[in-house]
Amino acid sequence: MTRFCVLLSVLLVIAAAPIHAQSPSDTDMLGLPDQPGYVPNPAEEQLDVAFERQPVFYRTTEPPGTIVISTSQRFLYLVQGNNRAIRYGIGVGRVGFQWSGVHRISRKKEWPDWTPPPEMIARQPYLPRWMAGGPGNPLGARALYIGKTVYRIHGTNQPQTIGHAVSSGCFRLTNPDIIDLFPRVPIGTKVVVQHASAL
Amino acid sequence: MMLKHGVAALALIAFAATTASAQTLKAVQDRGHLICGVSEGLPGFSAKDDKGQWSGLDVDYCRALAAAIFNDATKVEFVPLSAEARFGALQSKKIDVLSRNSTWTMGRETSLNLIFAAVSYYDGQGFMVRKALKIESALELANKSICTKSGTTSELNLADYFRDNRLTYKVVTFPSADEALKAYDGGRCEALTSDVSQLYALRTELGTPRDHIILPDIISKEPLGPVVRQDDVKWLNIVKWTQFAMVDADEMGVSRRNLDQAMKSQKPSVRRLLGLEGDFGKQLGLTNDWAARILRLVGNYGEVFERNVGTGSKLGIPRGINQLWNKGGIQYAPPIR
Repeated sequence: MTRFCVLLSVLLVIAAAPIHAQSPSDTDMLGLPDQPGYVPNPAEEQLDVAFERQPVFYRTTEPPGTIVISTSQRFLYLVQGNNRAIRYGIGVGRVGFQWSGVHRISRKKEWPDWTPPPEMIARQPYLPRWMAGGPGNPLGARALYIGKTVYRIHGTNQPQTIGHAVSSGCFRLTNPDIIDLFPRVPIGTKVVVQHASAL
Repeated sequence: MMLKHGVAALALIAFAATTASAQTLKAVQDRGHLICGVSEGLPGFSAKDDKGQWSGLDVDYCRALAAAIFNDATKVEFVPLSAEARFGALQSKKIDVLSRNSTWTMGRETSLNLIFAAVSYYDGQGFMVRKALKIESALELANKSICTKSGTTSELNLADYFRDNRLTYKVVTFPSADEALKAYDGGRCEALTSDVSQLYALRTELGTPRDHIILPDIISKEPLGPVVRQDDVKWLNIVKWTQFAMVDADEMGVSRRNLDQAMKSQKPSVRRLLGLEGDFGKQLGLTNDWAARILRLVGNYGEVFERNVGTGSKLGIPRGINQLWNKGGIQYAPPIR
Protein backbone atom coordinates (compact mmCIF):
# COMPACT_ATOMS: atom_id res chain seq x y z
CA MET A 1 0.00 0.00 0.00
CA THR A 2 2.96 2.28 0.48
CA ARG A 3 3.54 2.07 -3.23
CA PHE A 4 1.40 5.04 -4.25
CA CYS A 5 3.56 7.37 -2.28
CA VAL A 6 6.45 9.30 -3.72
CA LEU A 7 6.39 10.60 -7.23
CA LEU A 8 5.25 8.80 -10.33
CA SER A 9 7.21 10.67 -12.93
CA VAL A 10 8.17 14.27 -13.26
CA LEU A 11 9.81 15.66 -16.33
CA LEU A 12 12.96 17.60 -15.74
CA VAL A 13 11.26 20.96 -16.06
CA ILE A 14 13.89 23.23 -14.68
CA ALA A 15 17.21 21.47 -14.34
CA ALA A 16 18.71 24.04 -12.03
CA ALA A 17 15.68 24.88 -9.91
CA PRO A 18 16.82 26.66 -6.76
CA ILE A 19 16.17 24.47 -3.78
CA HIS A 20 15.90 26.82 -0.84
CA ALA A 21 14.06 30.02 -0.06
CA GLN A 22 11.34 29.62 -2.65
CA SER A 23 7.87 30.84 -2.09
CA PRO A 24 5.52 27.85 -2.46
CA SER A 25 3.53 29.61 -5.13
CA ASP A 26 6.63 30.11 -7.24
CA THR A 27 7.70 26.50 -7.20
CA ASP A 28 5.24 23.90 -8.20
CA MET A 29 7.49 21.19 -9.38
CA LEU A 30 11.02 20.32 -8.64
CA GLY A 31 12.46 18.41 -11.56
CA LEU A 32 13.83 15.62 -9.48
CA PRO A 33 13.02 11.92 -9.96
CA ASP A 34 13.04 9.43 -7.08
CA GLN A 35 16.47 8.33 -6.00
CA PRO A 36 16.03 4.95 -4.31
CA GLY A 37 19.21 3.96 -2.50
CA TYR A 38 20.39 7.53 -2.05
CA VAL A 39 21.27 8.26 1.59
CA PRO A 40 21.06 11.95 2.51
CA ASN A 41 23.68 13.41 4.83
CA PRO A 42 22.72 15.34 7.99
CA ALA A 43 23.65 18.68 6.40
CA GLU A 44 21.12 18.10 3.60
CA GLU A 45 18.48 17.25 6.19
CA GLN A 46 18.94 20.62 7.82
CA LEU A 47 16.20 22.71 6.25
CA ASP A 48 16.29 26.38 5.47
CA VAL A 49 15.10 28.31 8.57
CA ALA A 50 11.79 29.09 6.86
CA PHE A 51 10.90 25.38 6.66
CA GLU A 52 12.52 24.00 9.78
CA ARG A 53 10.49 22.53 12.63
CA GLN A 54 9.35 25.17 15.11
CA PRO A 55 6.56 26.18 17.49
CA VAL A 56 4.32 28.82 15.88
CA PHE A 57 1.21 30.89 16.59
CA TYR A 58 -1.75 28.91 15.25
CA ARG A 59 -5.41 29.69 15.90
CA THR A 60 -7.77 26.78 15.41
CA THR A 61 -10.91 25.17 16.78
CA GLU A 62 -9.35 21.72 16.27
CA PRO A 63 -8.46 20.06 19.58
CA PRO A 64 -4.83 19.69 20.70
CA GLY A 65 -3.19 16.64 19.15
CA THR A 66 -4.86 17.14 15.76
CA ILE A 67 -2.69 17.21 12.64
CA VAL A 68 -3.63 19.92 10.13
CA ILE A 69 -1.91 19.75 6.75
CA SER A 70 -1.92 22.83 4.54
CA THR A 71 -1.01 21.76 1.03
CA SER A 72 -0.78 25.29 -0.33
CA GLN A 73 1.48 26.46 2.50
CA ARG A 74 3.64 23.29 2.48
CA PHE A 75 3.32 22.91 6.25
CA LEU A 76 2.03 20.30 8.67
CA TYR A 77 0.76 21.63 11.98
CA LEU A 78 0.50 19.54 15.15
CA VAL A 79 -2.04 21.47 17.22
CA GLN A 80 -0.89 22.20 20.80
CA GLY A 81 -3.79 24.30 22.06
CA ASN A 82 -3.58 27.84 23.44
CA ASN A 83 -3.07 29.26 19.90
CA ARG A 84 0.05 27.24 19.27
CA ALA A 85 1.21 24.44 17.03
CA ILE A 86 4.44 22.69 16.14
CA ARG A 87 5.02 23.34 12.46
CA TYR A 88 6.91 21.01 10.10
CA GLY A 89 7.96 21.83 6.53
CA ILE A 90 6.60 19.24 4.07
CA GLY A 91 6.64 18.21 0.43
CA VAL A 92 3.16 17.71 -1.03
CA GLY A 93 1.39 16.18 -4.01
CA ARG A 94 2.05 17.88 -7.30
CA VAL A 95 -0.76 19.59 -9.17
CA GLY A 96 -3.46 17.07 -9.98
CA PHE A 97 -2.42 14.93 -7.00
CA GLN A 98 -3.57 17.29 -4.24
CA TRP A 99 -6.57 16.44 -2.13
CA SER A 100 -8.45 17.38 1.03
CA GLY A 101 -10.38 15.52 3.71
CA VAL A 102 -10.61 14.44 7.32
CA HIS A 103 -9.24 11.07 8.44
CA ARG A 104 -7.59 9.34 11.38
CA ILE A 105 -4.13 7.82 11.63
CA SER A 106 -4.76 4.10 11.11
CA ARG A 107 -1.30 2.56 11.31
CA LYS A 108 2.28 3.46 12.15
CA LYS A 109 5.40 1.89 10.70
CA GLU A 110 9.11 2.39 11.31
CA TRP A 111 11.39 2.19 8.25
CA PRO A 112 8.60 1.10 5.86
CA ASP A 113 9.25 -1.03 2.78
CA TRP A 114 8.51 0.43 -0.67
CA THR A 115 6.67 -1.30 -3.54
CA PRO A 116 6.36 0.97 -6.58
CA PRO A 117 3.04 0.32 -8.40
CA PRO A 118 3.03 -1.17 -11.96
CA GLU A 119 2.22 2.19 -13.62
CA MET A 120 5.27 3.68 -11.96
CA ILE A 121 7.46 0.78 -13.07
CA ALA A 122 6.13 1.32 -16.61
CA ARG A 123 7.34 4.91 -16.57
CA GLN A 124 10.55 4.28 -14.69
CA PRO A 125 11.60 0.71 -15.55
CA TYR A 126 14.87 1.11 -13.66
CA LEU A 127 13.02 1.28 -10.31
CA PRO A 128 13.21 -1.69 -7.99
CA ARG A 129 10.06 -3.87 -7.72
CA TRP A 130 10.40 -3.85 -3.98
CA MET A 131 12.74 -2.15 -1.60
CA ALA A 132 13.30 -3.00 2.06
CA GLY A 133 12.96 -0.19 4.59
CA GLY A 134 16.18 1.64 5.40
CA PRO A 135 18.10 4.91 5.04
CA GLY A 136 18.04 4.88 1.21
CA ASN A 137 14.31 4.13 0.99
CA PRO A 138 12.20 6.94 -0.59
CA LEU A 139 9.63 6.54 2.22
CA GLY A 140 12.23 7.45 4.81
CA ALA A 141 12.41 6.62 8.51
CA ARG A 142 8.75 6.45 9.51
CA ALA A 143 5.27 6.31 7.97
CA LEU A 144 1.92 7.36 9.42
CA TYR A 145 -0.98 5.84 7.46
CA ILE A 146 -3.87 8.21 6.77
CA GLY A 147 -7.17 6.34 7.34
CA LYS A 148 -8.08 3.94 4.57
CA THR A 149 -6.50 6.12 1.89
CA VAL A 150 -3.43 5.21 -0.12
CA TYR A 151 -1.75 8.29 1.34
CA ARG A 152 0.86 8.51 4.08
CA ILE A 153 2.77 11.04 6.08
CA HIS A 154 6.30 9.73 5.72
CA GLY A 155 10.01 10.56 5.75
CA THR A 156 12.16 11.00 2.67
CA ASN A 157 15.65 10.35 1.38
CA GLN A 158 15.33 13.57 -0.66
CA PRO A 159 15.18 16.40 1.93
CA GLN A 160 15.63 18.98 -0.83
CA THR A 161 12.04 18.26 -1.97
CA ILE A 162 10.59 19.80 1.23
CA GLY A 163 8.60 22.92 0.33
CA HIS A 164 7.77 21.59 -3.13
CA ALA A 165 4.90 19.83 -4.87
CA VAL A 166 6.51 16.57 -5.93
CA SER A 167 4.59 13.53 -4.68
CA SER A 168 1.56 11.58 -5.82
CA GLY A 169 -0.47 12.83 -2.88
CA CYS A 170 1.61 11.79 0.10
CA PHE A 171 3.14 14.24 2.57
CA ARG A 172 6.86 13.95 3.19
CA LEU A 173 8.97 15.33 6.03
CA THR A 174 12.72 15.09 6.51
CA ASN A 175 13.73 11.97 8.42
CA PRO A 176 14.67 13.93 11.59
CA ASP A 177 11.25 15.64 11.45
CA ILE A 178 9.19 12.47 10.94
CA ILE A 179 11.19 10.84 13.77
CA ASP A 180 10.23 13.84 15.96
CA LEU A 181 6.56 13.71 14.91
CA PHE A 182 6.10 9.92 15.10
CA PRO A 183 5.96 9.44 18.92
CA ARG A 184 3.71 12.52 19.30
CA VAL A 185 1.01 10.95 17.10
CA PRO A 186 -0.92 7.95 18.46
CA ILE A 187 -3.12 5.76 16.23
CA GLY A 188 -6.55 7.42 16.00
CA THR A 189 -5.13 10.96 15.70
CA LYS A 190 -7.38 13.22 13.62
CA VAL A 191 -5.80 14.43 10.36
CA VAL A 192 -7.29 17.40 8.51
CA VAL A 193 -5.93 17.88 4.99
CA GLN A 194 -6.64 21.29 3.42
CA HIS A 195 -5.85 22.39 -0.10
CA ALA A 196 -6.16 25.71 -1.87
CA SER A 197 -9.67 26.87 -2.77
CA ALA A 198 -10.66 26.28 -6.39
CA LEU A 199 -11.00 29.27 -8.67
CA MET B 1 -38.80 77.99 -0.58
CA MET B 2 -37.05 77.12 2.65
CA LEU B 3 -37.02 73.52 1.65
CA LYS B 4 -35.66 74.33 -1.82
CA HIS B 5 -32.86 76.42 -0.33
CA GLY B 6 -32.16 73.69 2.12
CA VAL B 7 -31.83 71.12 -0.66
CA ALA B 8 -29.65 73.46 -2.71
CA ALA B 9 -27.44 74.11 0.30
CA LEU B 10 -27.14 70.38 0.95
CA ALA B 11 -26.27 69.77 -2.68
CA LEU B 12 -23.60 72.46 -2.45
CA ILE B 13 -22.14 70.91 0.66
CA ALA B 14 -22.19 67.48 -0.97
CA PHE B 15 -20.46 68.94 -4.05
CA ALA B 16 -17.83 70.65 -1.91
CA ALA B 17 -17.22 67.45 0.00
CA THR B 18 -16.82 65.45 -3.21
CA THR B 19 -14.32 67.86 -4.72
CA ALA B 20 -12.35 68.10 -1.47
CA SER B 21 -12.20 64.34 -1.11
CA ALA B 22 -11.09 63.74 -4.69
CA GLN B 23 -7.97 65.84 -4.28
CA THR B 24 -5.35 63.26 -3.39
CA LEU B 25 -6.20 60.82 -6.18
CA LYS B 26 -6.36 63.66 -8.69
CA ALA B 27 -3.06 65.11 -7.46
CA VAL B 28 -1.42 61.70 -7.80
CA GLN B 29 -2.87 61.17 -11.28
CA ASP B 30 -1.87 64.67 -12.46
CA ARG B 31 1.65 64.20 -11.08
CA GLY B 32 1.92 60.82 -12.81
CA HIS B 33 3.27 58.95 -9.78
CA LEU B 34 2.57 58.15 -6.15
CA ILE B 35 4.72 59.52 -3.34
CA CYS B 36 5.07 56.96 -0.60
CA GLY B 37 6.79 57.42 2.78
CA VAL B 38 8.82 54.37 3.86
CA SER B 39 11.43 53.56 6.49
CA GLU B 40 15.08 54.41 5.97
CA GLY B 41 15.95 50.74 5.84
CA LEU B 42 14.34 47.78 7.60
CA PRO B 43 14.98 44.29 6.21
CA GLY B 44 11.85 42.72 4.77
CA PHE B 45 9.75 45.89 5.10
CA SER B 46 11.53 48.59 3.15
CA ALA B 47 15.14 48.45 2.10
CA LYS B 48 17.10 49.83 -0.84
CA ASP B 49 19.67 47.62 -2.57
CA ASP B 50 22.98 48.80 -4.04
CA LYS B 51 21.25 49.46 -7.37
CA GLY B 52 18.82 51.83 -5.69
CA GLN B 53 15.94 49.38 -5.99
CA TRP B 54 13.47 49.37 -3.09
CA SER B 55 11.91 46.16 -1.84
CA GLY B 56 9.89 44.92 1.13
CA LEU B 57 6.37 44.40 2.41
CA ASP B 58 5.77 48.13 2.97
CA VAL B 59 7.30 48.92 -0.43
CA ASP B 60 5.13 46.35 -2.20
CA TYR B 61 2.08 47.94 -0.64
CA CYS B 62 3.00 51.24 -2.35
CA ARG B 63 3.59 49.40 -5.63
CA ALA B 64 0.16 47.77 -5.31
CA LEU B 65 -1.42 51.20 -4.92
CA ALA B 66 0.46 52.46 -8.00
CA ALA B 67 -0.62 49.35 -9.93
CA ALA B 68 -4.27 50.02 -9.08
CA ILE B 69 -4.04 53.68 -10.12
CA PHE B 70 -1.63 53.61 -13.09
CA ASN B 71 -1.51 49.94 -14.15
CA ASP B 72 2.20 50.39 -13.55
CA ALA B 73 3.76 49.30 -10.25
CA THR B 74 6.91 51.35 -10.88
CA LYS B 75 5.15 54.73 -10.73
CA VAL B 76 6.18 55.32 -7.11
CA GLU B 77 8.61 57.74 -5.57
CA PHE B 78 9.86 56.38 -2.26
CA VAL B 79 10.66 58.91 0.44
CA PRO B 80 12.69 57.42 3.30
CA LEU B 81 11.58 58.91 6.60
CA SER B 82 12.89 58.72 10.16
CA ALA B 83 10.50 57.77 12.96
CA GLU B 84 10.40 61.41 14.07
CA ALA B 85 9.74 62.84 10.59
CA ARG B 86 7.16 60.33 9.32
CA PHE B 87 3.86 61.80 10.56
CA GLY B 88 4.85 65.40 9.86
CA ALA B 89 5.65 64.48 6.26
CA LEU B 90 2.14 63.11 5.86
CA GLN B 91 0.44 66.06 7.58
CA SER B 92 2.32 68.56 5.42
CA LYS B 93 1.36 66.64 2.24
CA LYS B 94 4.96 65.82 1.30
CA ILE B 95 3.75 62.25 0.82
CA ASP B 96 0.44 60.76 -0.31
CA VAL B 97 0.57 57.78 2.00
CA LEU B 98 2.81 56.53 4.78
CA SER B 99 3.76 52.85 4.56
CA ARG B 100 6.43 52.64 7.20
CA ASN B 101 6.00 49.93 9.85
CA SER B 102 3.97 52.31 12.01
CA THR B 103 1.86 51.02 14.87
CA TRP B 104 -1.83 51.86 14.82
CA THR B 105 -2.66 53.46 18.16
CA MET B 106 -5.55 55.58 19.37
CA GLY B 107 -3.39 58.60 20.10
CA ARG B 108 -1.99 58.71 16.59
CA GLU B 109 -5.47 58.96 15.13
CA THR B 110 -6.96 61.36 17.68
CA SER B 111 -4.08 63.77 18.21
CA LEU B 112 -2.26 63.73 14.87
CA ASN B 113 -5.35 63.92 12.60
CA LEU B 114 -4.23 60.83 10.77
CA ILE B 115 -6.06 57.61 10.01
CA PHE B 116 -4.78 54.06 9.70
CA ALA B 117 -6.36 52.44 6.65
CA ALA B 118 -5.81 48.76 7.45
CA VAL B 119 -3.40 46.34 9.13
CA SER B 120 -0.81 45.06 6.69
CA TYR B 121 1.23 43.24 9.33
CA TYR B 122 0.35 42.19 12.87
CA ASP B 123 3.55 42.61 14.81
CA GLY B 124 4.06 42.28 18.55
CA GLN B 125 6.73 41.78 21.14
CA GLY B 126 8.29 38.33 21.46
CA PHE B 127 11.37 36.47 22.61
CA MET B 128 14.38 34.86 20.96
CA VAL B 129 16.14 32.05 22.81
CA ARG B 130 18.79 29.45 22.05
CA LYS B 131 17.34 26.20 20.81
CA ALA B 132 19.63 24.34 23.20
CA LEU B 133 17.59 25.76 26.11
CA LYS B 134 14.67 23.57 24.93
CA ILE B 135 12.15 26.29 25.79
CA GLU B 136 8.96 26.39 23.73
CA SER B 137 6.92 28.99 25.62
CA ALA B 138 7.56 32.39 27.17
CA LEU B 139 6.08 31.01 30.39
CA GLU B 140 9.21 28.88 30.71
CA LEU B 141 11.36 32.02 31.01
CA ALA B 142 10.92 32.26 34.80
CA ASN B 143 14.12 33.35 36.58
CA LYS B 144 15.93 33.79 33.26
CA SER B 145 17.81 36.94 32.32
CA ILE B 146 16.42 38.87 29.37
CA CYS B 147 18.25 41.44 27.23
CA THR B 148 16.44 44.42 25.72
CA LYS B 149 16.93 48.00 24.60
CA SER B 150 16.46 50.50 27.44
CA GLY B 151 13.78 53.18 27.56
CA THR B 152 11.43 51.43 25.12
CA THR B 153 7.89 50.14 25.39
CA SER B 154 9.51 46.68 25.15
CA GLU B 155 10.95 47.12 28.62
CA LEU B 156 7.53 48.13 30.00
CA ASN B 157 5.67 45.31 28.22
CA LEU B 158 8.18 42.85 29.61
CA ALA B 159 7.51 44.02 33.17
CA ASP B 160 3.71 43.83 32.58
CA TYR B 161 3.89 40.33 31.11
CA PHE B 162 5.93 38.88 33.95
CA ARG B 163 3.83 40.64 36.58
CA ASP B 164 0.60 39.33 35.01
CA ASN B 165 1.96 35.80 34.97
CA ARG B 166 3.49 36.11 38.44
CA LEU B 167 6.93 35.18 37.21
CA THR B 168 10.25 36.63 38.21
CA TYR B 169 12.95 37.54 35.70
CA LYS B 170 16.11 39.60 35.39
CA VAL B 171 16.20 42.37 32.80
CA VAL B 172 19.51 43.52 31.33
CA THR B 173 19.12 46.74 29.30
CA PHE B 174 21.31 48.33 26.64
CA PRO B 175 21.15 51.71 24.90
CA SER B 176 20.77 50.14 21.40
CA ALA B 177 19.30 47.04 19.78
CA ASP B 178 22.75 46.12 18.41
CA GLU B 179 24.30 46.16 21.85
CA ALA B 180 21.44 44.07 23.26
CA LEU B 181 21.98 41.57 20.43
CA LYS B 182 25.73 41.39 21.08
CA ALA B 183 25.11 40.82 24.78
CA TYR B 184 22.64 38.03 23.99
CA ASP B 185 25.06 36.51 21.48
CA GLY B 186 27.82 36.67 24.07
CA GLY B 187 25.70 34.80 26.62
CA ARG B 188 24.94 37.73 28.95
CA CYS B 189 21.29 36.72 28.92
CA GLU B 190 19.21 33.71 27.98
CA ALA B 191 16.59 35.60 25.96
CA LEU B 192 16.35 38.70 23.82
CA THR B 193 13.07 40.60 23.58
CA SER B 194 11.85 43.03 20.91
CA ASP B 195 9.14 43.13 18.26
CA VAL B 196 8.96 39.75 16.52
CA SER B 197 9.69 41.17 13.04
CA GLN B 198 12.86 42.71 14.44
CA LEU B 199 13.90 39.51 16.21
CA TYR B 200 13.80 37.63 12.90
CA ALA B 201 15.94 40.34 11.29
CA LEU B 202 18.39 40.30 14.23
CA ARG B 203 18.61 36.51 14.07
CA THR B 204 20.07 36.70 10.55
CA GLU B 205 23.01 38.66 12.03
CA LEU B 206 23.94 35.89 14.48
CA GLY B 207 26.73 33.45 13.67
CA THR B 208 24.44 30.42 13.34
CA PRO B 209 20.84 31.67 13.00
CA ARG B 210 19.37 28.17 13.20
CA ASP B 211 20.70 27.74 16.75
CA HIS B 212 18.07 30.25 17.87
CA ILE B 213 14.29 30.29 17.78
CA ILE B 214 11.70 32.99 18.16
CA LEU B 215 8.99 31.78 20.56
CA PRO B 216 5.41 31.89 19.24
CA ASP B 217 4.21 33.95 22.23
CA ILE B 218 3.30 37.54 21.47
CA ILE B 219 3.02 39.80 24.52
CA SER B 220 2.03 43.14 22.99
CA LYS B 221 -0.09 44.47 20.14
CA GLU B 222 1.73 46.28 17.33
CA PRO B 223 -0.64 46.41 14.35
CA LEU B 224 1.28 47.99 11.44
CA GLY B 225 -0.36 49.51 8.40
CA PRO B 226 -0.61 52.32 5.86
CA VAL B 227 -1.58 55.79 7.12
CA VAL B 228 -3.33 58.71 5.38
CA ARG B 229 -4.63 62.15 6.31
CA GLN B 230 -8.16 62.46 7.69
CA ASP B 231 -9.34 64.98 5.09
CA ASP B 232 -9.87 62.65 2.14
CA VAL B 233 -12.24 59.72 2.62
CA LYS B 234 -12.13 58.74 -1.05
CA TRP B 235 -8.38 58.36 -0.88
CA LEU B 236 -8.70 56.47 2.40
CA ASN B 237 -11.01 54.01 0.62
CA ILE B 238 -8.49 53.40 -2.16
CA VAL B 239 -5.66 52.83 0.32
CA LYS B 240 -7.84 50.57 2.49
CA TRP B 241 -9.30 48.46 -0.33
CA THR B 242 -5.91 47.95 -1.94
CA GLN B 243 -4.91 46.03 1.20
CA PHE B 244 -8.31 44.29 1.45
CA ALA B 245 -8.22 43.19 -2.21
CA MET B 246 -4.82 41.55 -1.67
CA VAL B 247 -6.09 39.70 1.41
CA ASP B 248 -9.36 38.69 -0.28
CA ALA B 249 -7.38 37.39 -3.28
CA ASP B 250 -5.19 35.35 -0.94
CA GLU B 251 -8.31 33.83 0.59
CA MET B 252 -9.83 33.05 -2.83
CA GLY B 253 -6.56 31.55 -4.05
CA VAL B 254 -6.16 34.15 -6.79
CA SER B 255 -2.48 34.92 -7.26
CA ARG B 256 -0.08 36.50 -9.69
CA ARG B 257 0.71 33.00 -10.96
CA ASN B 258 -2.84 31.90 -11.76
CA LEU B 259 -4.42 35.25 -12.68
CA ASP B 260 -5.06 34.32 -16.33
CA GLN B 261 -6.88 31.20 -15.20
CA ALA B 262 -8.78 33.21 -12.57
CA MET B 263 -9.98 35.64 -15.24
CA LYS B 264 -12.00 32.73 -16.67
CA SER B 265 -13.51 31.83 -13.29
CA GLN B 266 -17.27 31.48 -12.94
CA LYS B 267 -17.19 32.11 -9.17
CA PRO B 268 -19.07 35.36 -8.45
CA SER B 269 -16.66 36.42 -5.67
CA VAL B 270 -13.64 35.97 -7.95
CA ARG B 271 -15.41 37.80 -10.80
CA ARG B 272 -16.26 40.75 -8.55
CA LEU B 273 -12.68 40.92 -7.28
CA LEU B 274 -11.28 40.97 -10.80
CA GLY B 275 -13.82 43.48 -12.12
CA LEU B 276 -15.55 41.02 -14.44
CA GLU B 277 -18.82 41.79 -12.63
CA GLY B 278 -19.99 44.96 -10.94
CA ASP B 279 -18.65 48.50 -10.93
CA PHE B 280 -16.60 48.40 -7.75
CA GLY B 281 -13.44 49.85 -9.26
CA LYS B 282 -15.26 52.77 -10.86
CA GLN B 283 -17.03 53.51 -7.58
CA LEU B 284 -13.59 53.69 -6.01
CA GLY B 285 -12.57 56.29 -8.61
CA LEU B 286 -10.40 53.80 -10.48
CA THR B 287 -11.03 51.30 -13.27
CA ASN B 288 -12.91 48.08 -12.74
CA ASP B 289 -9.76 45.98 -13.22
CA TRP B 290 -8.02 47.79 -10.34
CA ALA B 291 -7.55 44.62 -8.26
CA ALA B 292 -6.57 42.51 -11.27
CA ARG B 293 -3.80 45.06 -11.92
CA ILE B 294 -2.56 44.71 -8.32
CA LEU B 295 -2.53 40.93 -8.61
CA ARG B 296 -0.79 40.89 -11.98
CA LEU B 297 1.89 43.41 -11.10
CA VAL B 298 2.43 42.77 -7.38
CA GLY B 299 0.53 39.69 -6.18
CA ASN B 300 -1.82 38.74 -3.38
CA TYR B 301 -1.11 39.28 0.32
CA GLY B 302 0.34 35.80 0.85
CA GLU B 303 2.70 36.17 -2.12
CA VAL B 304 3.87 39.56 -0.91
CA PHE B 305 4.34 38.22 2.63
CA GLU B 306 6.28 35.10 1.63
CA ARG B 307 8.46 36.96 -0.87
CA ASN B 308 9.52 39.70 1.53
CA VAL B 309 9.50 38.29 5.05
CA GLY B 310 8.38 34.64 4.80
CA THR B 311 9.58 31.43 3.20
CA GLY B 312 11.04 33.25 0.19
CA SER B 313 13.16 35.62 2.27
CA LYS B 314 16.20 35.42 4.49
CA LEU B 315 14.04 36.35 7.50
CA GLY B 316 11.84 33.24 7.34
CA ILE B 317 9.03 34.70 9.46
CA PRO B 318 6.13 32.20 9.78
CA ARG B 319 2.76 33.53 8.56
CA GLY B 320 1.60 32.88 12.14
CA ILE B 321 -0.80 35.57 13.32
CA ASN B 322 -0.67 37.12 9.81
CA GLN B 323 -2.13 34.00 8.26
CA LEU B 324 -5.72 34.30 7.01
CA TRP B 325 -8.46 34.11 9.64
CA ASN B 326 -9.59 30.70 8.29
CA LYS B 327 -6.09 29.23 8.19
CA GLY B 328 -4.80 29.86 11.70
CA GLY B 329 -4.18 33.62 11.78
CA ILE B 330 -6.24 36.80 12.13
CA GLN B 331 -5.84 38.52 8.72
CA TYR B 332 -9.41 39.26 7.65
CA ALA B 333 -10.74 41.54 4.93
CA PRO B 334 -14.36 42.57 4.32
CA PRO B 335 -15.88 41.13 1.13
CA ILE B 336 -16.00 42.94 -2.21
CA ARG B 337 -19.68 43.17 -2.99
